[in-house]
Amino acid sequence: MRRWLPIIAAGCLLAVGALVVVGSLTPRAQPSIAERADALAAELRCPDCQGLSVADSPTSSAREIRRQIDELLAGGATDDEVRDHFVARYGNWIRLAPAAPVVWVLPFVVLIAGVGLLALWLRTRRTPIAGPLAAVDAEKRRRLREEVESLDA
Amino acid sequence: MRTLRWLLVPVLVLPITWLLFQGFGRDPRQVASPLLERPAPAWSLTTLDGEALSSEDLEGRPYVVNFWASWCVPACVDEHPVLAAAHESHGDAIPIIGVLYQNAPADAQAFLDRYGNAGYAHLVDERGSLAIDYGVTGPPETFFVDAEGVVRARQWGPLTEETMDAYLALITPATAR
Repeated sequence: MRRWLPIIAAGCLLAVGALVVVGSLTPRAQPSIAERADALAAELRCPDCQGLSVADSPTSSAREIRRQIDELLAGGATDDEVRDHFVARYGNWIRLAPAAPVVWVLPFVVLIAGVGLLALWLRTRRTPIAGPLAAVDAEKRRRLREEVESLDA
Repeated sequence: MRTLRWLLVPVLVLPITWLLFQGFGRDPRQVASPLLERPAPAWSLTTLDGEALSSEDLEGRPYVVNFWASWCVPACVDEHPVLAAAHESHGDAIPIIGVLYQNAPADAQAFLDRYGNAGYAHLVDERGSLAIDYGVTGPPETFFVDAEGVVRARQWGPLTEETMDAYLALITPATAR
């Protein structure tokens, strides 16, 4: 089992990599303005709620943000321009998902490092400890046996 | 290897625990406003008294924009006398503009009748678009704009006499005080 760990780790890595490549190559249909507005509303935070997106909230702030998203998209704004419109007002706080790529990559790096460390640790543990039995000489063995037998008696 | 493992505790675990505990004492909405040191949003709205008012009418003067609501209790009640006092001492030199945050005009009027109407204008921001332009997350929130129309400070939560004076000092030229 232990010797398979690095191979399993490498296999997982390959599978994830393949998924990413296939996913980025598959052509997607151009989303409609309503679909883009839905997606943007889902990734923007409702400003007066606790951890809810604009899409999930019925407050008037959320409704107004949704209305502004629709208006901006209808005016020809790109998705990034819509995000920037709200980030300019609220800061990055308004985005539910972090924008920095490092936050997305870090868990995978830590996972791979963890699997690597575990594999390394298991390998070192597997190495047999040299000569502890030989160190017990005949005299000691005799004494030990005597003591054990006296305990049994 | 063994000492290395013990080093993990102070080097990794303690700083991460400290970082996470830091977050407990802070409200996630209390982030720095991206509006600071930027031109204040422009607006043109109607006041509670039914008069038209726009940011252009305030050009050349420092002003204060205070988002509040009658349901914002006790914070908005607490800071109400502070705003009234500032209006009393500075008058039209530093206009104070109240903005109703998700509040029906009738409810806001009832609040003013009960706690005192200092006489400065209150904007009816029906759709809440001005609150969004200012990045407001909840009342009370107050912005201090200097005579050049640049946002110099934001107070998140109720104002006190001390914070009010400190922020007003930021937006008024030294000679005017």
